[in-house]
Amino acid sequence: MKYFNSIFIITSLFFISAEAENHSRILIQNATVMTATDQGTLLETDVLIDQGIITKVGLDIEATDAFIIDATSKIITPGLIAPHSTLGLVEIESEPAARDDSTDEYSAGFSIVDAFNPSSVLIPYNRSGGITSAIVVPASGSGIYSGMASVFKTDGLLKIEPVAKDIAMIMEFGGTKDSRAADMLMLKDSFNLARRFTTSRSSILKGGKYSEAGDYTVRDIVAIQRLLKGEIPLIVRANRASDLLKMINFSKEHRINIIFLGAKEGWRIADTLATESIPVIIDPMDNIPSSFDSIGARLDNAAILHAAGVKILITSQNTHNSYLSRQGAGNAVAHGLSKDEAIKALTINIAETFGLEDAIGSIEVGKHADIVIWDNDPLEVSTFADEVLIDGNSISLMTRSKRLRDRYMKKLGLN
Amino acid sequence: MIMAKPIGHFFYSICLLNLLFIPTNLQAISEAEMLNQAYQSTYTPEPSSKIIIKNGTVLTGTGLLMEKASVLIENNQIIAVGEGIDDGEAQVIDAEGKWVTPGIIDIHSHMGVYSAPGLRSSSDGNEATSPTTPHVWAEHSVWTQDPQYTLALKGGITTFHVLPGSANLIGGRGVTLKNIRSVTVQGMKFPGAPYTLKMACGENPKRVYGNRKSEPSTRMGNVAGYRKAWIEAQSYLNRLEEYESKSEDAKELGYAPSRDLELETLVGVLKGEILIQNHCYRGEEMAIMLDIAKEFGYKVTTFHHAIEAYKVADILAEQGVCAAMWADWWGFKHEAFDMVWENVAMVDQALSGTGCAIVHSDSAVGIQHLNQEAAKALSAGNRAGLDIDKARAIQWITLNPAKALGIADQVGSLEAGKMGDVVIWSGDPFSIYSKAEKVFIDGHIKYDSASTDAFTRTDFDLGIIIPEGDRL
Repeated sequence: MKYFNSIFIITSLFFISAEAENHSRILIQNATVMTATDQGTLLETDVLIDQGIITKVGLDIEATDAFIIDATSKIITPGLIAPHSTLGLVEIESEPAARDDSTDEYSAGFSIVDAFNPSSVLIPYNRSGGITSAIVVPASGSGIYSGMASVFKTDGLLKIEPVAKDIAMIMEFGGTKDSRAADMLMLKDSFNLARRFTTSRSSILKGGKYSEAGDYTVRDIVAIQRLLKGEIPLIVRANRASDLLKMINFSKEHRINIIFLGAKEGWRIADTLATESIPVIIDPMDNIPSSFDSIGARLDNAAILHAAGVKILITSQNTHNSYLSRQGAGNAVAHGLSKDEAIKALTINIAETFGLEDAIGSIEVGKHADIVIWDNDPLEVSTFADEVLIDGNSISLMTRSKRLRDRYMKKLGLN
Repeated sequence: MIMAKPIGHFFYSICLLNLLFIPTNLQAISEAEMLNQAYQSTYTPEPSSKIIIKNGTVLTGTGLLMEKASVLIENNQIIAVGEGIDDGEAQVIDAEGKWVTPGIIDIHSHMGVYSAPGLRSSSDGNEATSPTTPHVWAEHSVWTQDPQYTLALKGGITTFHVLPGSANLIGGRGVTLKNIRSVTVQGMKFPGAPYTLKMACGENPKRVYGNRKSEPSTRMGNVAGYRKAWIEAQSYLNRLEEYESKSEDAKELGYAPSRDLELETLVGVLKGEILIQNHCYRGEEMAIMLDIAKEFGYKVTTFHHAIEAYKVADILAEQGVCAAMWADWWGFKHEAFDMVWENVAMVDQALSGTGCAIVHSDSAVGIQHLNQEAAKALSAGNRAGLDIDKARAIQWITLNPAKALGIADQVGSLEAGKMGDVVIWSGDPFSIYSKAEKVFIDGHIKYDSASTDAFTRTDFDLGIIIPEGDRL
């Protein structure tokens, strides 16, 4: 019982401190607003928030009862979305006891929802860097599938429901231990199985064994059926240009929606990606020909893809520093992408790709007030968040890292 | 920081003497280390013509920012830096609106020993067959055609230090290379740079050997391993000195101690000729490593990946030990959990600003953007209330790594007499939008963003995507 008591106390403290900061109506005044919409960047603009929702964006908004945030000479953006991370699942990468992101029991249908820890040290840390939502994914398993992605906000509240559950499936093609030809056969076989399962479920399950289902549990097969019905997209981690083409062919044949992750050679087939309307999640800084799957890696991949009309989503190199997607976006701009497009690649493009665009991803009327107020150009690494709002609530920017800093600054006599 | 200087001068003189082909003067090196001089740098740049870079904002690397200043380079060397310099004969490069810095130096790289593409056959950084391998040398693993070198060049890297990996307690000798293309590693070696020795604390050695149920499997096992190695080295040094102290007649009657490749390297450290570059994350482990150094009478030059350097920044500053750090990497291991963004700045400012802070990469991506890593560290420090200017922060990736590598008398700042290693940036190098536009090494332009042909590709890059074309 003692354990539960202490949790209760911590939770209450959190709400009390959060409540003091929160107001039902907030007016952000005089900001440079990078909207992540077709409107681009608006100058000296106000944003009105009511009950956690953006209700007005415009010049000289009157709202006498609202709490005022003066954002003169500041830049605001939608909260950034981590498009592919294990936030909330992993504390220390090298420690099996401190990660919760994989299983040997399930594959395609592995939902990570119940592993998410809203009190992970990584969450306030990445929030202080501007991340307000994350597409949380399981890590690659032994086969081609690693499971299902869900969406969480980074408010740190002790609640157990995600924003959206099991919204995409993740697989890897070409970078696995097996021949890529075997990857493709496994993919085809799993799809065939899921199709047959629809019509002859009882015969496949006869005898209480899934022997004919091979490595797949019923849960996995049902998840693949959702793909086949077009209910969810398939995120395919692949880099080699010919692998991307093969997966495009496969997706057309089976009428499924795909999203590429990696796509280091995407620039070589940029026109095809654009024609087929396939979004790509990329780390613009990853220009290393790290294997024979990514010999063509280059720093201007993002700019080339965007110029061809491909929707790009920018991710960071690793989960711990998910917020460094900003640095990737800045480097993409240094190599030819426009700033407004870079902001879209960190926000609305991600929301649209995962069907979250009605709720998050841009500063527009009707959206959740997930907003970051930056002290300068958000794409500069020297810029930090002054304030982060999630659902209209001002969220603490304190982190464990800053607590350590403060302790040792004092010890060293530096403050 | 300063401590590295005499050693640097010492080796610099050797370098000059080598160029003059007077090998007899090599006696300045200890007898044991003399035997290891067979792999000298063969790099000698062609004489370069006279170039003046005008009107740029110059970060000198000596702690100055000069507006509208010029840098004059001739015959591989920097001749003058400052305002009002003119030379009618020099080729003029107008750097109006641009920034000029010394060539960037990365003190922690595995390019060439962990090359791209990452293949088993080119994984040459860890001799993970025994926890103590001071006899292996990173330079004997280096692949000279690693495509990562040219990527780093485009990020302004003119010098980098290649280390063995961190599987071992004592991993072997590191090597300092200039970022020039050569078929031989000797042709890349930084002339006269002292050798270094890689050591590793903490999780990696105990994991690698502990998983095999052999020693070390704990941090205490690690420390025992270092001490055993130094005890052997001291005893070897005693035998060498005892033999040396004998009269010529007595020498003829006896035998010289036989060569021992492992112990020669350790003796080089004990004699101050080889610089310790110590992978070490935790504060308490750094303090223990310094006690080990005290026990055996050697010096730790730099702690690398020093995630917790800020916890012992006063001790490091007091003992003149540098810390080489990332701006923000963390969480991949338990010993990398307590990262603070202000680490670099706090180390820099410790003990009234006497700390020696270095920003390093350990990454083929990071090395291309070392200026951005420095920008993050600078910004975090100033945000926390420290007052550090760009002129000082640029030293984290120029002069300070040069000092810690014992080459600060030749590179790391724009000063008359130093090598003509210079970068012209499209703008403020602390901005994410700025790129290295022109990179000079020894006065020769090695990369020019204005021309796709203005750098030499590695062999790997040729015809690798399509036969008719080259990798960028």
